[in-house]
Amino acid sequence: MKIVVTVKLVPDPNAEKKIDPATKRLVRTGVETVLNPYDEYALEAGLQLKERVGGDSRVTIFSMAPDTLKETLRRALAMGADDALVLSDGELAGSDVWATAYAMAKALRTLDFDLLVVGGLTDDSSTGAVPGALAEHLGLPCITNARKIDISDGKLEVERETDAGYQIVRGPLPALITTALTFGEPRYASLKGIMGAKKKTIATIGVTDLSLDLPVGTGGSKTELRSFAPPPARGEGRTIEAADGVAGATAILEFLREKKLV
Amino acid sequence: MKHVIAYAEHRQGQTRKVTFELASEARRIADALGGKAYVVALGSGAAQLAEQLKSYPVDTIYVDEDRDVDGFLLDPVVDHLEAVAKQVGPSVMLIPNTLSGRDIAGKLLVRLGAGIVADVVDLQVEGDAVVCVSPKLGGAIVTHCALLPADYGIATVRPNAFAAVPGGGGARVERLEKPAGSYAAVIESDVEEGAGELALEEAPVVVAGGRGLGGPEPFDSLLKPLARALGGAVGASRAAADAGWVPYNLQIGQTGKTVTPNLYIAVGISGAIQHKVGMRASGTIVAINKDGAAPIAEFSDLLVVGDAFRIVPELTKMIETAKGHVS
Repeated sequence: MKIVVTVKLVPDPNAEKKIDPATKRLVRTGVETVLNPYDEYALEAGLQLKERVGGDSRVTIFSMAPDTLKETLRRALAMGADDALVLSDGELAGSDVWATAYAMAKALRTLDFDLLVVGGLTDDSSTGAVPGALAEHLGLPCITNARKIDISDGKLEVERETDAGYQIVRGPLPALITTALTFGEPRYASLKGIMGAKKKTIATIGVTDLSLDLPVGTGGSKTELRSFAPPPARGEGRTIEAADGVAGATAILEFLREKKLV
Repeated sequence: MKHVIAYAEHRQGQTRKVTFELASEARRIADALGGKAYVVALGSGAAQLAEQLKSYPVDTIYVDEDRDVDGFLLDPVVDHLEAVAKQVGPSVMLIPNTLSGRDIAGKLLVRLGAGIVADVVDLQVEGDAVVCVSPKLGGAIVTHCALLPADYGIATVRPNAFAAVPGGGGARVERLEKPAGSYAAVIESDVEEGAGELALEEAPVVVAGGRGLGGPEPFDSLLKPLARALGGAVGASRAAADAGWVPYNLQIGQTGKTVTPNLYIAVGISGAIQHKVGMRASGTIVAINKDGAAPIAEFSDLLVVGDAFRIVPELTKMIETAKGHVS
């Protein structure tokens, strides 16, 4: 089975995001670029399916990323992916969800696959709309938030989490699946995996390799960032030491009354 | 973009508050654009929901109790919304920023050639563009992003961001024709977990517990009674969900839900960045923690340093007593 896993490269989510008040840009100094954490779960799902199905199954990583960051994808190859394809082009800069999904779909069409596994959200922009848009562009069933994936006789059975609980969904292949964080912890790369990843291929394509009918990048986008600012600051908080339960509860109740919350 | 179409998410007619928030906001934006406000309710229970929506100030409520909406993933809803959008003409679609709302919006934007802004907490009409206010990077910045002038635009709207304001009346209810379509992903079974609980994103008060609670039992014995007394819901930090003390659908934070209640009470939660991004926009934040130096001190309006196991039951009693005196 041929599996493609999409991976986005994002600033380290554990670093607190700060905006430089002078430049109004995100402070990236000292912040490492990593695989979008949600995509690591997608990769784990892809690798588990590859192992389960066996044979000549392969996992290919696809990423739309600046060429300068593509070596970060070695980590995904070290975890067990077989190769990677990067769509990288200056023309893509400033692409919004529409333009991003359009360009990604065009690039994914150059790959032959049975299953496309996508992370549920991206840590940096979190629109969550790209998986649905990709499925629509590619004409694939879209089964999101999977916590369990079974494949038999070329058909999918997916247990997916919903806001209210879970559903069991059946569908054909090829298909697009996104993974829930309950799918299972992503594996660590082994030393052997890390060594082996050095020899694996990271191929690069640009927009001229795709047959685009529409513009991409800022010019092809349907939204425009007008301005951004830090959120309104919270007032200075109070801290109270509570000697016992009654004292603590009384302090909270008085505070809630003052705020007209009770 | 001239009209506004709101998608009424529901479960078997069991409404979510966000539906009424969207209906109210649809009116305001439609007025600013000089167009009409529509709501679309689909699937079993839609007719009953349409009756409730009649007390909101929209022009037309489109309904189809299409069984396929409950039997297949996404496509029956997307087909209907696409058909309504094309019938109504240039419009802004308002879709709840929920798990299924995001999937629907993703598919729909391709069908309509629409731009999208996600997790919208405010909308303004500026000239011929609709400007969406949306927090990004876990709330570290707030962006103003325009849906550029085009036939269609989509905003996925954060629950609890807008007030649900009944009014108007006289909305027409119209039955939709079902668009032809074939669907690939079959819903074999649909199971509710934690039924009867108030939806976390919509609760006016959230009482959340973390590692400091030490196990699953205090969520029931300590937090639930306090949440009930305050008319709220119970949530949890990632540490508590990872430990298996609560189901993942109660997890608040970067990898869980984003909540914006009027009052957030964090019990035994240290306040790591992962948690902060899911609750920082709450109205008032009260923390109870045994460690006065915990990171949560930095973004709480009140931090009480003490023993949660003693404070919470006393607080529950006091609030119940206070409520008793009022009623």
